[in-house]
Amino acid sequence: MEDKTKTLQREFLKVFEKLEVVLGWEPGYDSLHATPSFIRQAKDLNKLVWNPLCSQNLCTYLVKTLNASVRKDDKKIGICVKGCDSRSLVALIQEKFITRETFYIVGIPCEGTVDWRRLMRIEPSLKDVQKVDIQGNELEVETAQKTYRFPLQQVLEQRCLHCRYPNPIIYDCLIGEPITPHIGDDQAYGDIEKIEQYSLPDRLKFWEKELDRCIRCYACRNACPLCVCRDSCIAETRTPKWLSQRCDLKEKFFYHMIHAIHLAGRCTECGECERVCPMEIPVTLIKKKLNQIVKDLLDYEAGIDPQKQPPLLTFDPGEKGI
Amino acid sequence: MSEKIFIAQGELTAMLERLSKEMDVWVPVEMGDEKWGIRFLPYHEDTIVVLDRQSTISPKNVVFPQVETLLRFRYQKDDNDPSKQRIDLKDRQDVSSALVFGARPCDVRGFHTFDQVFLNGRYKDPYYEQRREKTLFATLLCDTKDSACFCSSVGSGPGDREGSDLWIVPVDDGYVIQALNDKGRKLIPIMGKQATTEQIEKAQRIQEQVTAKRIGEYDLTRSARDFTDRFEDMDYWRDMVSKCISCGICTFVCPTCYCFNITDESRDLEGERIRSWDSCMFYHYTLEASGHNPRPEKFERYRNRVGHKFSYFPDTYSGMISCCGCGRCIRSCPVSIDIRRVVHHLKEAVDAEV
Repeated sequence: MEDKTKTLQREFLKVFEKLEVVLGWEPGYDSLHATPSFIRQAKDLNKLVWNPLCSQNLCTYLVKTLNASVRKDDKKIGICVKGCDSRSLVALIQEKFITRETFYIVGIPCEGTVDWRRLMRIEPSLKDVQKVDIQGNELEVETAQKTYRFPLQQVLEQRCLHCRYPNPIIYDCLIGEPITPHIGDDQAYGDIEKIEQYSLPDRLKFWEKELDRCIRCYACRNACPLCVCRDSCIAETRTPKWLSQRCDLKEKFFYHMIHAIHLAGRCTECGECERVCPMEIPVTLIKKKLNQIVKDLLDYEAGIDPQKQPPLLTFDPGEKGI
Repeated sequence: MSEKIFIAQGELTAMLERLSKEMDVWVPVEMGDEKWGIRFLPYHEDTIVVLDRQSTISPKNVVFPQVETLLRFRYQKDDNDPSKQRIDLKDRQDVSSALVFGARPCDVRGFHTFDQVFLNGRYKDPYYEQRREKTLFATLLCDTKDSACFCSSVGSGPGDREGSDLWIVPVDDGYVIQALNDKGRKLIPIMGKQATTEQIEKAQRIQEQVTAKRIGEYDLTRSARDFTDRFEDMDYWRDMVSKCISCGICTFVCPTCYCFNITDESRDLEGERIRSWDSCMFYHYTLEASGHNPRPEKFERYRNRVGHKFSYFPDTYSGMISCCGCGRCIRSCPVSIDIRRVVHHLKEAVDAEV
């Protein structure tokens, strides 16, 4: 079977003259990191890679960096999406920030991406890594000296442990075969249920402890593909002043609630907010809880059907859910 | 009495306990259960100190808190003439002595940058000065470099003792600790027993071995001119940092980033004037009252960060780089931007790399 990285490069090369830019991943600063890549010349396509380190959701660039709704000519934007990333793309189409025709989408069925921090906890001395690959239920890490094997449950990102959509929802070209999800719909919110077993005071204590670490760097917001207010987030406006510059628990709590509420029924659970947090705060849980409520009340999940109208963008006088 | 003492691993907690009776002792601890990251927190009896890896966020907040109250104010109406009001101001603050235990040479070097700006210029910053004066650093010889570290590339190194008050060398199952100045010397009697000649010699050997290591392959100390030459090459900056998402991580985890905002936060008739960390990565950082923003694009803001550290700062402060090579901005970057690469290639375009 051909290496997926090679297939990926080849597929983009076939259509490159119709593309303005290709968004993919290339090797990062060390062998355990990948970094987003903006390819503008065909000769650079060989930089692209696909492996379980390609964690970034590239859809975050569409509205905030590329302004993808405005096209200079009829050239398209090429983009690589994992299952979760593709939901963000669909949600942006549903919300009319972008149009499907603007994109050449290469979809990659994904078995999960690696949380390097979890990996470091298990094997802090890991270096000179030459290859990282998923084989069955294990992550295989080849170094110059030996091959390590880690159970996926221990080294994948939290988002991947509860992933129901490993396969891209929309694509023009699919790399590899679709994957059977490891998680059934009934287990989708297993991570929230754990927190909900706590009593209310304990739950508050849990969130106070977690959110107190927040340094208000806004990485969770900026990495979020669906945070589309660009430079006008109310967390930073001075007029009116919703939040002060103080960095106490109240402000942090407020900020995260604002972020979550603005994503209610919109979040596509790509988990980028949590992955990028330098303080390792499980902020995706808050958004998932809201998603669960939206699912229960309105039977809706964001980013699944490009044709479907998001419930919070419409009004139904006969609404039965609420 | 010798200035070198030995603390066995098992006695570390008791020593910190003794020190914490004298002053606030900040130590590196894990972010939480099953988390990898480290941050500095004041020591208390249940604290588990983690010295085997660099902290995610530098201990700069001990001297330069993320939020600091500069003054408190309260308006009072004049009973006789309601059109007038009086303002009561309080600007006193009490700062206690602090010891940062287990900082790394790069963490301490970060304050060289701060000192230039807050102490050595035309004006002294009294808030910074007070905390700086009262904060001691017990610094750990650093032998745990990872792929993001580059302290030697910016003129420092893993054995750099400059700016520290106490110096810690891990030896066998403990630490040889040595005072580097009078401030540090005062703490030695509280800390522990004299080290044996054997332990001291061993520490010396380890010190020499680690000091000889070069961390980081490039020399980034002479990039000021290359930066100004490259300033208007928009293709370069787009190529290098289009992927920047413009969050504040790199500036907040950085030991040398010192930009701040000053705001009045009030409610009804009273409030505080606070100073809080700001970030040149934020859109609002350069937003002018007119609505014009000289750095509207993300890559322009990243360019500024590089320029400040490797060009403007050394131009202003006799060649000094305001980067300590700790690698935190690389390690914590959501999109893995590598500042070493961005600075290194200023001289020659990336295409020449291959």
